[in-house]
Amino acid sequence: MVRANTYVDRMGLYIKIVLGLKRSEPGLIDVQNLKKSYKSFQAVNNSNFHVKEGEIFGFLGPNGAGKSTTINILSTMLKPTSGEVTINGYDVTKHRNRVRESIGIIFQENTLDEKLTAKENLMLHCKFYGVPRLKRKARINEVLEIVDLKDSVNSLVEKFSGGMQRRLEIARGLLHYPKVLFLDEPSVGLDPQTRAHIWEYILRLKEKENITMFLTTHYLDEAEISDRVAIMDHGDIIAIDKPKKLKQQLGGDIIEMTTTDNEAAIQEIKANFDVVDVSLKDDVIYCKVENSDAFVSNFIKTLQTPLTGLDIRKPTLNDVFLSFTGREIRD
Amino acid sequence: MEGIIAIWQRDIIKFFRDRARMIGSFSMPILFLVVFGVGMGGSMESLVAAGVGPEEDFNYVEFIFPGIVSMTLLMTSVFSSLSVIQDRDFGYMREILVSPVSRVNIAIGKMLGSASVAFIQGVMMFVLMPFLGITIDFVSFLQVLPVMFMIACAFSSLGLFVASLLNSMQGFQLVVNILVMPMVFLSGALFPLNNMPGWVDFLVTLNPVTYGVDLMKHIMIDVENLSAMVQEEMGLNLTFFGQPVTMMGEIIFLLGFTTLLILLATLSFRRAND
Ligand SMILES: Nc1ncnc2c1ncn2[C@@H]1O[C@H](COP(=O)(O)OP(=O)(O)OP(=O)(O)O)[C@@H](O)[C@H]1O
Ligand SMILES: [Mg+2]
Repeated sequence: MVRANTYVDRMGLYIKIVLGLKRSEPGLIDVQNLKKSYKSFQAVNNSNFHVKEGEIFGFLGPNGAGKSTTINILSTMLKPTSGEVTINGYDVTKHRNRVRESIGIIFQENTLDEKLTAKENLMLHCKFYGVPRLKRKARINEVLEIVDLKDSVNSLVEKFSGGMQRRLEIARGLLHYPKVLFLDEPSVGLDPQTRAHIWEYILRLKEKENITMFLTTHYLDEAEISDRVAIMDHGDIIAIDKPKKLKQQLGGDIIEMTTTDNEAAIQEIKANFDVVDVSLKDDVIYCKVENSDAFVSNFIKTLQTPLTGLDIRKPTLNDVFLSFTGREIRD
Repeated sequence: MEGIIAIWQRDIIKFFRDRARMIGSFSMPILFLVVFGVGMGGSMESLVAAGVGPEEDFNYVEFIFPGIVSMTLLMTSVFSSLSVIQDRDFGYMREILVSPVSRVNIAIGKMLGSASVAFIQGVMMFVLMPFLGITIDFVSFLQVLPVMFMIACAFSSLGLFVASLLNSMQGFQLVVNILVMPMVFLSGALFPLNNMPGWVDFLVTLNPVTYGVDLMKHIMIDVENLSAMVQEEMGLNLTFFGQPVTMMGEIIFLLGFTTLLILLATLSFRRAND
């Protein structure tokens, strides 16, 4: 048995080496042809993506898109129906424990023990992951510092606010120095101010530890902090790129303006300015231009028709989502 | 190894933090002691006296005390093990399952946690002895401790296995009704089970509580000094499909039972990821 398995593993390795010659960038996370179905329902269809070391990779999609399903497969909590997923070089179905040692995860639902103190929660985590005994105290201090919870180490978690609990979970996920940190909707259910704080901590972490992060969200502004974003809808990845690139694909910025004479203004814009598109809707003129920064100062100086209002709007990921699916992300 | 300790430790910390549960779990055993010991004690003793003669030194409370302690071990073990259902509902189970702790160590840690809690509760029952007018010598006390822990392990692994079959805490009451109480009544813990119909005998023979209670009785009661008649009357001569049961046999049965159910519970933890 052992022999046969070794043989199969070897073959797999050779195949990987051969394929690897063709693949340009082996990532810290490699997902190939990943599919997951619950009975007859396809939750994830044929996903392919790679995440590089040190990258923040965002997964953006509406409710039920398949984000948690993907993150649960990547973290060994769910078996894929088919496809190949490796984390840090280890296959998530064959070398589960190696994968588990390599990752930290903040699940969508709270998984703290509320009847224990913050310190007890962290100490148990150290033991689960075999953090060396002598390093535990220092590590606990270190992660609590990152999330500003040092003053509450000895309080019961049930006394914590939602934001504090989330921060404690993030701290816990870091204790064993994972190669990748998975964050499934880390700011869900929190008020806007606390949400902003959570992201501050996550970015601080990124600066300090250069940790690879895989996060999911259905808030557009949160996806913006990612180095690259995958947009997911109904189990399909419909686009993957840098947020800036995705927005550029839409063909530029939008300038909304009102004038004393809209008809005359449109004539003038078409004749004298370099715009991608111009349209009129509900007494507002919409101009799409390639680069609003370069365009606007000259535009205001030279336009003859008097302006009564002007607003520059950079495209958001919502515009991207809209252009790919024809729907707003928050239906 | 550390994973086992961590999972065990969590249960212990939570047990000592929850005083209400600690006190609450004494109510049932004490009620049983009163009903069976004091209430039925007199008539049981006169029944025995009628059969054997009044000179016999027989105390019914002494007879059921090991049974009540076993019952405490059983109930506390099973209820503590069922906390894995709560862990599943409140999410902590995912923190455990996503860690590199092996699934068998998760099961063992959880089993040891429940068993330790039950063991502590069981030992606390001994505080009641002076009020019941019974005594135990020091050597017997030292002998009965490891046996109690072993029994608690068997019951905890049973609880863990049952928990793996249940989807929610709603099954909790059901387990008490269809499993725990019958196991107590069909064990000889509270009254001797002589001359029962064959199918009852069969259940009694397969019931791990039977052997736990019997082991404790043999250690705590001075069985040798009871007449053969009383031993028979009080169901102290167990048989296992016709073979007389020895204490070593009982220990092997309980250890085997524990191992089997731990393996079954491990399989269910493994399945949790699919
Ligand atoms: N255990 C399950 N059995 C059956 N269907 C499931 C199961 N888990 C998830 N699904 C379905 O799979 C789809 C994807 O769910 P998933 O939780 O991955 O979405 P999500 O993108 O994380 O959404 P949300 O933003 O709400 O967290 C949903 O339609 C969901 O109903
Ligand atoms: Mg989700």
